[in-house]
Amino acid sequence: MRRIVSRTGYMILILILSSIAVFYAIRLSGGDATAAALPASTTAAQREAFRERLGLTAPIYVQYFQYAGRILTGDMGNSLTNNADIGQMLIRHGKNSLILGAAAFALVFVIGIPLGIWASVRRNRFADQGIMTFSVTGMAIPNFWLALLVIWLFASTFHLLPSAGCCEPRHLILPAVVLAFEGIALTVRMTRSAMLENLGQDWVRTARAAGLSEIRVIGKHAFRNALIPIISLAGLRIGQIVGYALVVETIFGWPGLGQVLVNAVLRRDYPVAQFFSVVLVALVVIGNWLADLGYVIANPRLRRA
Amino acid sequence: MTQGNGTSPVLSIRNLTTTIQSDGLIFDVVRGLSLDVYPNERVCLVGESGCGKTIAALSVMRLLPEAGEITGGSILFKGRELVSTSERDIRAIRAEEISMIFQDPLTSLDPSFTVGSILKELIKVHRGGDDKSAAALALATLAEVEIPDAKSRMDAYPHQLSGGMRQRVMIAMALVLDPDLLIADEPTTALDVTVQAQILERLVEEQRQRQMAMLLITHDLAVVASVADRVAVMYSGEIVEQAPVDQLFADPRHPYTQGLIRALPHVSPRKEPLYSIPGRVPPPQFTPPGCYFAPRCPYAIERCWQEHPPLEPDGGDRLLRCYNPQPFALL
Repeated sequence: MRRIVSRTGYMILILILSSIAVFYAIRLSGGDATAAALPASTTAAQREAFRERLGLTAPIYVQYFQYAGRILTGDMGNSLTNNADIGQMLIRHGKNSLILGAAAFALVFVIGIPLGIWASVRRNRFADQGIMTFSVTGMAIPNFWLALLVIWLFASTFHLLPSAGCCEPRHLILPAVVLAFEGIALTVRMTRSAMLENLGQDWVRTARAAGLSEIRVIGKHAFRNALIPIISLAGLRIGQIVGYALVVETIFGWPGLGQVLVNAVLRRDYPVAQFFSVVLVALVVIGNWLADLGYVIANPRLRRA
Repeated sequence: MTQGNGTSPVLSIRNLTTTIQSDGLIFDVVRGLSLDVYPNERVCLVGESGCGKTIAALSVMRLLPEAGEITGGSILFKGRELVSTSERDIRAIRAEEISMIFQDPLTSLDPSFTVGSILKELIKVHRGGDDKSAAALALATLAEVEIPDAKSRMDAYPHQLSGGMRQRVMIAMALVLDPDLLIADEPTTALDVTVQAQILERLVEEQRQRQMAMLLITHDLAVVASVADRVAVMYSGEIVEQAPVDQLFADPRHPYTQGLIRALPHVSPRKEPLYSIPGRVPPPQFTPPGCYFAPRCPYAIERCWQEHPPLEPDGGDRLLRCYNPQPFALL
């Protein structure tokens, strides 16, 4: 319980600090907010007036407090480039990102865990070696390169799947697989080692001595214990997916939060960039918080200690 | 060895050889072990660490580690050959007909499940039935092995129980299906001395009430003296002497048994160092052509170095593997 409370406190602190960091980073990285928002013919005076109106001339910390105040009242502001309501953007693009992210997250575990268990049961045999080779490869391939590879293979060469677009299931397959790939590789590896560790425990022998079948011993008892580290690292997988989403959404033209953020940064659309940066940080932090919570729930030794 | 009343043994091990593979080499850890256990009898298998006691017990349960293999001999349980029986059949025998209790109760229970769910699963896997009747049987068994407040302990996780309580849970798991044979491998070694006595008392009491056979494996002669009807002394993978417990302690015949008894700490008016058998157990890859104990034996004669002595009757109910037994003196 205490662990959860302190983790929640940490989460809030990290969100505040990261929002400050994002706020400063965007303003100190150069570029001109008016370049995208106003037509090229705008005079310097008009540009200055525009900055004044947006409050961009005040010291950055003053801007931050004004901004934080507006956010807390639920006013997320509008895009500088097309005046779109940021709250609306969050809902529209957030939904797309959630679909892609959830698909990738599910793939990580639906594929990673069974492969890891299979490798652990067939330890040092052919299947294990094959799976581990796949795992090492999966960790080594950069996902932007993998994205280009699958586009070339499945879209350009065999015309099986579209190379980009939204939002039908066939559009989802390639980006979800690419987004999940490294997570699958890591989950396979971790599941295998957690299973092997548990299969060597004395209580596995007790379970066998009780006449339980191998399926029960492996699938219920060893796996139940192997889940503890898998859950605790699921938070890292969320972080990984959020981070890679920037690249993968951009390559596959998937209109999600990552794509919005990349475009906003390129155009110096401050309100959009800073808001969505913090949203992504929040996703990562919440993911880790959930994993912590899951870890406590999964591990009876922590639950009522 | 037959018993006077003519009943046939529950467990009859003949010339069992079990190997362990390690670093690409194969060692005979159990070599030609023969042992009978009769119904309603408590047999102690005694020997020092590494003599093959545990591997012999795991062979009976067919629970050898991956590197282990039974390469010869026979294990008859109620007339059925366990060495060649299928994996499915041996699973049905485990817990239902032969149970085993292990040495370390702290690590022998799955930490992620409650005591009640562990017991209920065991019952339902073997007997089927609904959760309620399984829970009733589990609770009754926990109460029987004297777990206080058994009802609330059903919902406890192993880490919430003391070592002694966990060993009682292990005993409950072993007894819940009322097996014909209970194998207890050093069941009290990891426990406090006071708890040890309670656990042993419980085991003996259960054995009496259920009239089951019990094979208790230990290195502790004090445990042997308080529990056994009959004792088998194991050295380097084989039995060297076997006798009813009072005979064995009153008149040990094998030099190794004599050494073990001489090495027991006892109150002595003379201030002398504790006796220990010289040398150490030979590693399993070392197989002298003669008696395995010859290098450590004070009475070894020429023949002991040349020929391997057989296990033969030596008067009454005793079996002995020695060419040159000498009368026992406590020093």
